[in-house]
Amino acid sequence: MTATIGKIKAHFLNWRAWEFNPIVIKELRQGVRSWTVTGMLMLFLVVLFLTSLAFLIGQSFDVNENMQLGGSMFSSFVVILAGASVFFIPLYMGVRVAAERQENNPDLLYVSTLSPTRIIFGKFLCGAYIALLFFSACMPFMAFTNLLRGVDLPTVFFILAFLFLVVCATNMIAIFLACLPMSRPFKFLFIIAGFFQSFGIIASLIGSSYMFMRSGVGAMMAGRDFWIGVVTFVGLGLAITGLFFVLAVALISPPSANRARPVRLYITAIWLLGFLLCFNWVLKTGDAGRMVAWQFPTFIVMMLALLVTISNADLLSLRVRRTIPQSKLKQMFAFVFYNGAAGGLLWVGGMLAITFLASSVVQLFFIKTTVPTGEEKDWFTTTAAYAFAYALTALLIHRKWLSRRPPKIAGLLAVLLAAAWAVLPSVFLFFVNKLSWNSVEGLQLGNVFNLFTLREDSQRTLHLLFASSWFFVILILNTPWFFRQLRNFQPPIRVTAENSPPVLK
Amino acid sequence: MKVQVKNLHKEFGKTVAVDNISFEFDSGHVFGFVGPNGAGKTTTMRIISTIEEPTSGDVLLNGVSVCEEPELARRVVGYVPDTLPAHADITVHEYLDFFARAYGLRGKKRTQAVEAIEEFTNVIGIREKHLKALSKGMKQRVSLGRALVYDPDVLVLDEPAAGLDPRARVELRELLMLLAERKKAILISSHILTELTEICNGVVIIERGKILETGTIEEVLKKSTPRRTVAVKLLASELHQNTALLKQLLETPHVENARDVANEIHFELTGDESAACDILDSLVAKKFRVTEFRQTKQNLEDIFMNVTKGGVQ
Repeated sequence: MTATIGKIKAHFLNWRAWEFNPIVIKELRQGVRSWTVTGMLMLFLVVLFLTSLAFLIGQSFDVNENMQLGGSMFSSFVVILAGASVFFIPLYMGVRVAAERQENNPDLLYVSTLSPTRIIFGKFLCGAYIALLFFSACMPFMAFTNLLRGVDLPTVFFILAFLFLVVCATNMIAIFLACLPMSRPFKFLFIIAGFFQSFGIIASLIGSSYMFMRSGVGAMMAGRDFWIGVVTFVGLGLAITGLFFVLAVALISPPSANRARPVRLYITAIWLLGFLLCFNWVLKTGDAGRMVAWQFPTFIVMMLALLVTISNADLLSLRVRRTIPQSKLKQMFAFVFYNGAAGGLLWVGGMLAITFLASSVVQLFFIKTTVPTGEEKDWFTTTAAYAFAYALTALLIHRKWLSRRPPKIAGLLAVLLAAAWAVLPSVFLFFVNKLSWNSVEGLQLGNVFNLFTLREDSQRTLHLLFASSWFFVILILNTPWFFRQLRNFQPPIRVTAENSPPVLK
Repeated sequence: MKVQVKNLHKEFGKTVAVDNISFEFDSGHVFGFVGPNGAGKTTTMRIISTIEEPTSGDVLLNGVSVCEEPELARRVVGYVPDTLPAHADITVHEYLDFFARAYGLRGKKRTQAVEAIEEFTNVIGIREKHLKALSKGMKQRVSLGRALVYDPDVLVLDEPAAGLDPRARVELRELLMLLAERKKAILISSHILTELTEICNGVVIIERGKILETGTIEEVLKKSTPRRTVAVKLLASELHQNTALLKQLLETPHVENARDVANEIHFELTGDESAACDILDSLVAKKFRVTEFRQTKQNLEDIFMNVTKGGVQ
């Protein structure tokens, strides 16, 4: 502890020797030399200039005084800025990272002495700098609109800051997607999906901007609710950006590293913070239904984590095993934060169980007004039971019959299992000419998607019973494997003078 | 600096890429790493450079384990991969400067290091050129410069001469010899074995992940060819006597596998130096007008062909 404090102190005392992250310098140099950035910036400025000109010339023909000209111009600039920064910057950064990060032959910068955290942070900072460049170019145009009336300066700067945060978050998501170990065609598909997704982001950004313009941020700033909303938005944005950051760092870390630890620690910390905030909200409002704001995102993240977890290899690399603590007690805690499907399953299961338990306890003491019945709790439990049943079945199939295939096959199997169970009954009914809305809305045990289409609520209990039974059976079948993994979670035995084999002379 | 590869073993699924190999080399030496495609050379080199982790075994760089302390090991090893740098929108100088920064060089020290490397690898004239616009030879120099910019003690070069023209190959060879003089421990793999013979002090021959031969070039030559091959050449006007000479040699003791090779008679000598003298004496006594009687020089290529079977995993 003292050493760490000393290190931090020395770092700050030595501030004159500080240097920029090498990745930022490299990326910015490349950005400056690249025609893509320069060209896009020039085009952006031309569009801004022509738009201003069109508004001013249009107004000069109008005999009536327009008290909203500034507001109208500002709205157009927001659309242009949002379009340019949400489309272009994440795409540019994503393509740059993907070009360096090839599946089989990563660039040597990923194996230099730079840590994965510094590399990803450098990429992220570079995206933020480029965004800042675009925002700086746009800011004089936007500030100018204040003189034409219809928008106040706090609104201008607030919307710019709001937009900037969104661009930084999308930039981080693009970097994460570029780091995914996928072939180029798949990455190209992601680019297309991201392109369409951007429309949604831009539309919601424009909608929020209009809302702020109408209300006037200057007037809203005095209210406490406004700041609560701002802090919540910034907090959520930071949490999402942070999540994609740790995921990207894990992806570029060497396969022999303990990639799971930072991700699981981060998610656990955010989950805990989310609970505290949500519980505080429940205390303030007295409505236990607010817990769903914590319960639902946890559920979604855990389902994705489950898929990733079962795609992990069982064997830990030497480098990772060397970091396993010697103490048995510490080993128990460490188990859930290390690579490997067994530890991951325990972590996901534990997180979900505590989430449901905590939500249920809160509901015992507070009235639930936002959601009328306990259905949604059953829905969570049933879906979670199905997810675990699919995952454990996939693991079992992979272990018994496909052990020579890479572990990611288990994740794929789980998805296929869920999909097949959902589609095959309908396909069968189609061929026997009995497919109808009634059959789709009827009971299909084993099909998790059937839960959302059920006509009769009473059938949900049957689903819960079926999913739980399946889960328990498959859990028992997986138990020997699980305990084997637990037993194998040991640091390697080091050869010392005492236990080394005798030297024959 | 001592590089010790100890019982290195690497598996990719069911494929054994490197099968329990051990060898070592030292500062000031160039060590050749030879084997057919798929023999496990690149995997071994990537493990030494901390890019891959072995399934078992270890590599010690002056006692620093690449498994235990990869971050520390990375500071003493420079890796030149078989792929060339292909970054877009970056000049040679910026590229070298970036890697100097990445390896923690600061301020003036970094500027000096980059300039020194640009001079050493002779890229000063192209320092402002874009990487993408460079020829293969120039890219190889930049790649070497990148690996040397933080002054590592060990240099691992994977097929550095592949695809280079003869001039670029000669220049690369000269650079490597200079580096050996500067007390770097160099491990180099190449398919151009005749060149390796000229610059390597030692060699490891690997096939199917296993070491077939290892040692100094002389040791390996001796081991792989216990019998020396002697060439006899007659006066140009007496080449018609070659058949008689061949017949004569076949009847002489300590001579095996005599054959005509491009107007010379080659045979394998099974005896010692005095046996060679006796053979020459007998030829002169039989009035053969011998102009050359010499031991043929075997190179790495001959050894490679002798010891490998061309198998891959």
